[in-house]
Amino acid sequence: MRKILLTGWILTAQALLAQPVVAPTPDQAGSPRGANTGDYNVMDSFETGYRFAVVDGSMGTYRSDVNYGNGLRLLSGNLSVNSRDGHGRWFDQIVLNAIGLGNDPYQSVTLRVEKNKLYRYDLLWRLDDYFNPGLPVAAGLHLMDTSRHMQDHNLTLLPQSKIQFHLGYSRNTQDGPALSTVQLCFNGNIYCGTAGNEFPVFENVRREQDEYRVGADVDLAGFKLTVLHSWVFFKDDSGYQANGAAAGDNPSTGVTLSQFQRAEPYHGASPYWLGNLNKSGKNLAVNGRVTYVDGKRNFILDENAFGAVPLGAQNQQVLVGGDAARPSLTGDLSVSVFPTSRLTLVNNTSIDSTRIDGTSDYEQFNLATQTAGFIAFRYLGLRTIANATDAHYRLRNWLSFYGGYHYSERRIKDIEEYAVPGPFSGATYEQENHLEAGVAGIRIKPLKAMTINLESEIGRADRPFTPVSDRNYHALGGRFEYRVKNLTLGTSYKENYNNNSVTLSSYSSHARNYSANASWTPRDWFALDASYSKLHLDSLSGMVFFAGPAATASLTSNQVYISNIHAANLVARLAPVKRVELYLGYSVTRDTGDGRGAAAPAGATDPATLIFTPVQTFPLNYQSPLARVSIRLREKLRWNAGWQYYNYHENFGLFSFYQGYHANTGYTSLTWAF
Amino acid sequence: MSRWLLLLCGCLPLLAADSYVGSTVCKTCHADVWLNFYKNPHYKSIASGDQPPERTGCEGCHGAGKPHVDAHGGKTTIPRAFSLMQPKAVLDACLSCHARDLSKSNIRRSQHSLSDVVCTNCHSIHKPRSAQFLLAKQQTDLCYGCHADVRAQFAMPFKHRVNEGFMACTDCHNPHGAFAPTWGMADRPRMVARAEGNEEPCLKCHADKRGPFAYEHPPVRVEGCGACHVAHGSTNAKLLERPVVFTLCLRCHNGADKFGTRNNGIPALSNTHNMLDPRYQRCTLCHVRIHGSNSDGYFFR
Repeated sequence: MRKILLTGWILTAQALLAQPVVAPTPDQAGSPRGANTGDYNVMDSFETGYRFAVVDGSMGTYRSDVNYGNGLRLLSGNLSVNSRDGHGRWFDQIVLNAIGLGNDPYQSVTLRVEKNKLYRYDLLWRLDDYFNPGLPVAAGLHLMDTSRHMQDHNLTLLPQSKIQFHLGYSRNTQDGPALSTVQLCFNGNIYCGTAGNEFPVFENVRREQDEYRVGADVDLAGFKLTVLHSWVFFKDDSGYQANGAAAGDNPSTGVTLSQFQRAEPYHGASPYWLGNLNKSGKNLAVNGRVTYVDGKRNFILDENAFGAVPLGAQNQQVLVGGDAARPSLTGDLSVSVFPTSRLTLVNNTSIDSTRIDGTSDYEQFNLATQTAGFIAFRYLGLRTIANATDAHYRLRNWLSFYGGYHYSERRIKDIEEYAVPGPFSGATYEQENHLEAGVAGIRIKPLKAMTINLESEIGRADRPFTPVSDRNYHALGGRFEYRVKNLTLGTSYKENYNNNSVTLSSYSSHARNYSANASWTPRDWFALDASYSKLHLDSLSGMVFFAGPAATASLTSNQVYISNIHAANLVARLAPVKRVELYLGYSVTRDTGDGRGAAAPAGATDPATLIFTPVQTFPLNYQSPLARVSIRLREKLRWNAGWQYYNYHENFGLFSFYQGYHANTGYTSLTWAF
Repeated sequence: MSRWLLLLCGCLPLLAADSYVGSTVCKTCHADVWLNFYKNPHYKSIASGDQPPERTGCEGCHGAGKPHVDAHGGKTTIPRAFSLMQPKAVLDACLSCHARDLSKSNIRRSQHSLSDVVCTNCHSIHKPRSAQFLLAKQQTDLCYGCHADVRAQFAMPFKHRVNEGFMACTDCHNPHGAFAPTWGMADRPRMVARAEGNEEPCLKCHADKRGPFAYEHPPVRVEGCGACHVAHGSTNAKLLERPVVFTLCLRCHNGADKFGTRNNGIPALSNTHNMLDPRYQRCTLCHVRIHGSNSDGYFFR
């Protein structure tokens, strides 16, 4: 009997790789086979309970990281209804899954309703309450306390026929308070320079995107044609304001702000077309696709600021109006050939053309004494052609190879025009980057239970766009896995090196990841899972900067960044007595840096040392043990309780602010089936 | 020779059809599989009643069952016993029906297929954990099983809410292979699903970053979000590649020759920026619209 009860449990016991949050409880109530009702079979399990959190330390970091609070929730819900003969009257299948409904910061519902041959409807609804810490805390990163609601509806008509129709609707809204900043100087200049002062302004975030889709799939003469048209409408009506005197971030300028208001409606549409043609045969498969997106936005900005400079009160208005467009055309053609059962050859060609342009008419008025205005225009054109050929060959049943050659060419055209007012100069800038890359890999399976994968890639680009872009790179990887019925062992290595040296500056990054994991299920009531990863990253960047209030000559230096992250996870799941299931987990993430100090040496006067030494390494420690118990009270009723502790500690003070916290979170709940 | 004769007289299809015994015969011995099979999406092939034998029920995937029945069982007598098949054969078998799904257009050249990671590595037809996609495990655990480094990234203090169940790996990735990216050099990354409008998947949710803007921050469009952000997890609340923002910006804004839109370097700081003053180390304090702006080429408003 115990074995039967643990049947569903064992399946999850092999899947403990990620340490989940403590709730919801994965154990389900009710019979794993469900109950028959008429022509349908019904399975259901719902978990309702109370979640709590006690936080000490930086609440902002906790909310940005974990964000669980107190209150009652529907922690999870699972319902499936299936017709037993595939001929239900209105539907043949309903599958409903939900998490966190009620109060959790992360909530989602998925629903599928399907009637064979007639329709299939899918819904995905999600809510994300997200928080970002505020200004001085996050060093220039803005506070945000918004909720994002997303919903996707997809209806397929005649899903099993040769002609299918698709209808869809998606909505994505974001709203809530936020804190932004504005720099002002009231001196009539568009850019303030050292005379500027920065003030926090409240932002009322109101963003909305609606998408409507209609399309069809047609199966004809061995070809499948997909056509999809969509209309995407976006609007951002966020408003900004500040009331009351503020000294700002740079009070030495004497610039103060007493009132600020900005309206900035930004509306537009991005309709797109997609066409896809597919032909699949025994020896040949071809897929061609074309998409076109026509994005356009119209905007206006009206900003009023009232404040003062040492000479007296000031009043400034900024008006901006214009539009922006970004048409984008993409085509893909993929041809797969299978000359023998052992060999696969694939060639893919992709073309992408994107143009971004817009006009922006900027006018700034300063208390009737000065007026500044200019029209600005920017064009950015991107055209990329890529071709990739890959081959996969199975030499023996236990040995296979793959290799490929990838080539791409990208042209960037740029026009940046400003008139104050005046004629455009017509200067155009154009550049091309060519990338050649090769990939190769081997898969060896010396035993049925053992797999070894080795992979490599090397690439060379002649004119990358930024110093951090891929230029002279290689990647190596290897993975070993041994898997038998109750034991899985795995280890892997991956490195990714990129060097992008130029005359004035240099950038290089070396990433090396090492991982090992083991899952062991010695008994049907006991499972262990352990993993360890080390993620190493070191980079060297060339820096050019100014130091000192009256600096006229730039300084150069190299900035080193080193991160050595050790992440370990240990999970035990056991059923010590009948009806009781226990889950114990411990997760730790630690960035040890490389032993460098996180502060400039005492007495240092060199500007590069003072600026860059404190930001070379960011040692931190993040731990989270958890424990959960689930007891089957009756066949259709379980009681669950759990506790999870979070301890986040930074061994550096970012601008002298420590963002550490520790939190006790937990829950108690009932899981029931009807 | 006899096969050719049968083919010439048009009798081969009849012979082939005779090899199919129907799912009701299979359930005689495989009652445990059959018991819940009506919940399986593949049951549609039986329920519809209009599919040819080679596309119906058990034999739709496993092939004609007569040899297996005649031999009174045994895996080797099943024409397509997936646990005995080579990865490519598994792929071919599943793609005989699923090849023409738009989401699988690039499966033959996907990194998974090249590495012999095929359908049955992730999907379990008879013992699925999820009804909808017949996954063998919870999706995150499937992916973490091989991508342990990614699991470590999601154990960082700031991350997308994957472990919390709010989103899944497939919100951003297409494990069946993706079309060439429209950002970067159309070469890397290879398994990132694009939003319907050809853009990065990030923009499916972060629609306000999509633009178009009169002034786009060029790397956003040219190189993609990954130029500054690490999507999985970071020590920065905005998922930046560096915990401190100015070290991120100065990596590129150093005027180094041959980079940027004008080929003459990405603009370095002006001399008004005294980097010894923490105020200037908070770049986004002033450059608030760093993803793109409609009003200001320097992203002030």
